[in-house]
Amino acid sequence: MRLSFLVLPIALPLALTATAALAHGPTPQKVSQSITIKASPDAVWKVAGDFAGIGKWHPAVAKAEGSGSKDGGTRKVTLKSGGTLEESLDEYKPEARSYSYRMGEPDLKALPVSSYSATFTVSPEGDGAKVEWMGRFYRGDTGNEPPENLSDEAGKAAMNTYFSEGLKGLKAAVEGGKAK
Amino acid sequence: MIRRAALSLLLSLVGLPAQAGTVYVASQQGAQLTRVEAGKVAGSTSVAGAPATVAAGGGLVFLTHPDGQAITVVDGATGQVLRRLPYRGQAFGLAASADGRTLFAADWSGHRIDRIAAADGTLEASAPTGRDPAHLVLDRAGRLFVADRESHQVSVFDAARLTRLATIPVGTAPFALALSPDERRLYVGNVRSNDLTVIDTGGLEALATVPVGAMPYGVAVSPDGARILVTNQHAGTVTVLDAGTLALAATVTVGRYPEGIAIAQGRAYVANWFSDSVSVIDLATLQEVTRLTVAEGPRSLAVAAEPSPKEETR
Repeated sequence: MRLSFLVLPIALPLALTATAALAHGPTPQKVSQSITIKASPDAVWKVAGDFAGIGKWHPAVAKAEGSGSKDGGTRKVTLKSGGTLEESLDEYKPEARSYSYRMGEPDLKALPVSSYSATFTVSPEGDGAKVEWMGRFYRGDTGNEPPENLSDEAGKAAMNTYFSEGLKGLKAAVEGGKAK
Repeated sequence: MIRRAALSLLLSLVGLPAQAGTVYVASQQGAQLTRVEAGKVAGSTSVAGAPATVAAGGGLVFLTHPDGQAITVVDGATGQVLRRLPYRGQAFGLAASADGRTLFAADWSGHRIDRIAAADGTLEASAPTGRDPAHLVLDRAGRLFVADRESHQVSVFDAARLTRLATIPVGTAPFALALSPDERRLYVGNVRSNDLTVIDTGGLEALATVPVGAMPYGVAVSPDGARILVTNQHAGTVTVLDAGTLALAATVTVGRYPEGIAIAQGRAYVANWFSDSVSVIDLATLQEVTRLTVAEGPRSLAVAAEPSPKEETR
């Protein structure tokens, strides 16, 4: 473990250079998180359906701006930890309370992955709502011997944390009646 | 050539009469090869970690392991793992000759194509491709077509010598490709431009590019050549196009993150990567008739060739 601290500052810039060109890899991994919210699906969608409004409920997001919630719409998400996620909507389906999107250029400072796509869906559950946020991503270093911080495991941990913390923030925002 | 073809016909008839039309499904995270016969799971085999692409030929089934620097060889009839061929790169796309003796593997991060002896893994020839070669197909005339994902082109090689015959620009990020049964057309799914490029394999040029769904990741053509089926990974659907007019014939809802698609005996099989299932679509009605549960992360499918005199005499 101690060794990796020594290696990291050297390995990271190299890996950044290598993966920016690849941008994806041959073996994808799953990320999947869900949460139940005590509110109607429509009430949840009112908050979560605004693609560029993620800054209003995701605790890790410092700010977000975008071009609109529609097919082809984009958002630029700046994380508190540094780094930005530039994402674009593939399909925006308000009637299904669902949208799917994918990332543009990788930013390993934001998330240690080289590429991802994801789907966000709000559906009825009991007298409340269920929110599912799931996707497919490729590790930060798509080569055969990725460093620990850019491995499948590192990508899984980071993506699952980003999604689950986001959903907790959304729940708090909706159930608390106001965005963060 | 004719003697060799006759021999391979003989071998395929004698060795494996029962398995023609068997569909093989490779599950990446589950590290399994599943055999599907007549729309039902017939058996499964544990294989080495993270198989990506499956190909069939000569009664054998082959799997690439991009992270494991290997290709696995499986007996198609029994599902038994026969051997592991070491591979020096990140093998992703794979094609097998009809007799199962020769493999063509795309090295994703090595940006090249390799021809390999299936018996022992000997590297017979190698040639550079564009950036990040993904899937590839072999035609009966001995040509190899490779989707160069990050170069937005299809590379065409003489399979015997691995010399480049042509480079054909297509849409953005081509990934999967399929030949029409008469091999006059090659269909290429472009992952980032969400469309399908139609290539004339005679003139080796693109004829048309038509929209499909979000993130097309798999392509197959019906046995009569009349319909093109494209999986849309993001949309969770299969787009069915009329091959003559390239007009939309149907959109079939399948599982989440569908990837590979293969057609056998009147049915299309779709690997639903996220849902850990295979959708079975009736080609006559274009309806999903059942969904088979398989090991985690099914990505790729291959069909054991049905012996046909036309194929064997080429």
